Amino acid sequence: MTMDVKTKMEGFEMSDEIICRCEEITESEIVEAIRNGATTVNEIKKWTRAGMGLCQGRTCRRMIERILARETGIELKDIKPSTYRQPVRPIKMGALGE
Amino acid sequence: MKKIYDVAVIGGGIIGLSTAYYLAKEGKKVVLIEKNEIGSGASGSCDDMILFQSKKPGILLELAFESLEMYKRLSKELDVDIHFENRGGMILIEDQRHLEVMEEFVQKQRNCGLEVEIIDKKDVLKKQPYIKKGVIASTYSSKDAQVNPLNVMRGFVSSGVSLGLEIKKHVVIKDIKQKKDYWKILFDDGRWIESEKIVNAAGAWASDIGKMIGIDIPIKPKKGQIAVTEQIPRIGETNVWSAEYIVAKLRPELAKNKDDLHNKLGIGFAFSQCSDGNYLIGSTREYVGFDKTTNYEALKIMINQAIKFFPILKHAHIIRSFGGLRPASADGKAIISEVKNRKGFYIAAGHEGDGIALAPITGKLIADMISNRNIYYDMNALSLRRFEQKEGAKNASA
Repeated sequence: MTMDVKTKMEGFEMSDEIICRCEEITESEIVEAIRNGATTVNEIKKWTRAGMGLCQGRTCRRMIERILARETGIELKDIKPSTYRQPVRPIKMGALGE
Repeated sequence: MKKIYDVAVIGGGIIGLSTAYYLAKEGKKVVLIEKNEIGSGASGSCDDMILFQSKKPGILLELAFESLEMYKRLSKELDVDIHFENRGGMILIEDQRHLEVMEEFVQKQRNCGLEVEIIDKKDVLKKQPYIKKGVIASTYSSKDAQVNPLNVMRGFVSSGVSLGLEIKKHVVIKDIKQKKDYWKILFDDGRWIESEKIVNAAGAWASDIGKMIGIDIPIKPKKGQIAVTEQIPRIGETNVWSAEYIVAKLRPELAKNKDDLHNKLGIGFAFSQCSDGNYLIGSTREYVGFDKTTNYEALKIMINQAIKFFPILKHAHIIRSFGGLRPASADGKAIISEVKNRKGFYIAAGHEGDGIALAPITGKLIADMISNRNIYYDMNALSLRRFEQKEGAKNASA
């Protein structure tokens, strides 16, 4: 996994890396939420907004799961994905209400 | 595992967290038990309003006043920004008969000290330039405020833990046993803890916890569905909701022209913009057990209502929907009390739609009760016993 490689790179500031592109949430913000007591992807999402933006976590979901696994020692296979809800993609209100 | 705590708080929603925080703050050894994750019930699936106008004059309105002041302090005290804002609120009125009902309601709230008034069409337009034509008047209160419940919970967790609060997540309580002067809580994995006192803050699940100690707590889950828009600029000065729902509660005969589906879903239009720019469009009020799913029929009605009030919204996108289970008590008021004949067992649940607004004051009241401090509110109105008394009265008259 790329992130593990990066942490080992000396002098490389990994914490400013943007993980959730929609909400512009960095890795360090996610790590801070975990240090504040978040132990699930839903908690990270609710506390940082990572995964709460336009794409609803489509891009960052897996990366957040990996950061959580790395920081807490929970095995990746035991990490529950955050909740999926409708609509699957953003839809114009005018079209939804028809 | 055997450990004596001063207080075990059951439920990791905003009520349980507030209670645990205020207890930890005065040096109590507190453990918070959550079967799922933090804010996984109603507190994480709600809107962000601290509403005064929706409250009937009486104890809930009085408590809301103090809770608001507490939020102002918490916004400095907690180590997380809780996005407290005092944006004000409006209840939009479309119908002459509704206006009459609301005038009376507003007068009662004013008598209780709430700064609220009815404003005419022209002033409505000033505050809500994108509003549709048919709105004839509105209430306005500068008191209505908002806060980000998710950040409040994060703040309670983070500040609570640094005060010594212990949090146990993903543990399911199997049974609770009353001992001579303490309680024993047994988990389904065979472990247990001991605590001098217990606070049942399990929200929609509070009645399940009550059953373990043989008491009946009349709280049922009431589902609320909410649709979330993308982040857009603010389209009006305040958050709004429609008079229809309040009128329907006060004068049901005036709501009869609505269709069955609308009534069945218990839809009352509420529209607020959270601090990050997303609008929350709500909400249903449905008794469907513990089902938290969202459905298109309900979302469609709410979205159409939003477009009806603010036609410009037809261009905005919906990015998500969610459903939460509000803990609804039999008379719509929270239960904040110690339980008779169960010394050391307290209930802080049943807030329904008032949980965010009343979380700080609820936590403080329970801490006051546990530390035997004087309380200057009439807590009988929020006691568990009020339901027994009603039952008794019914039986006597039968």
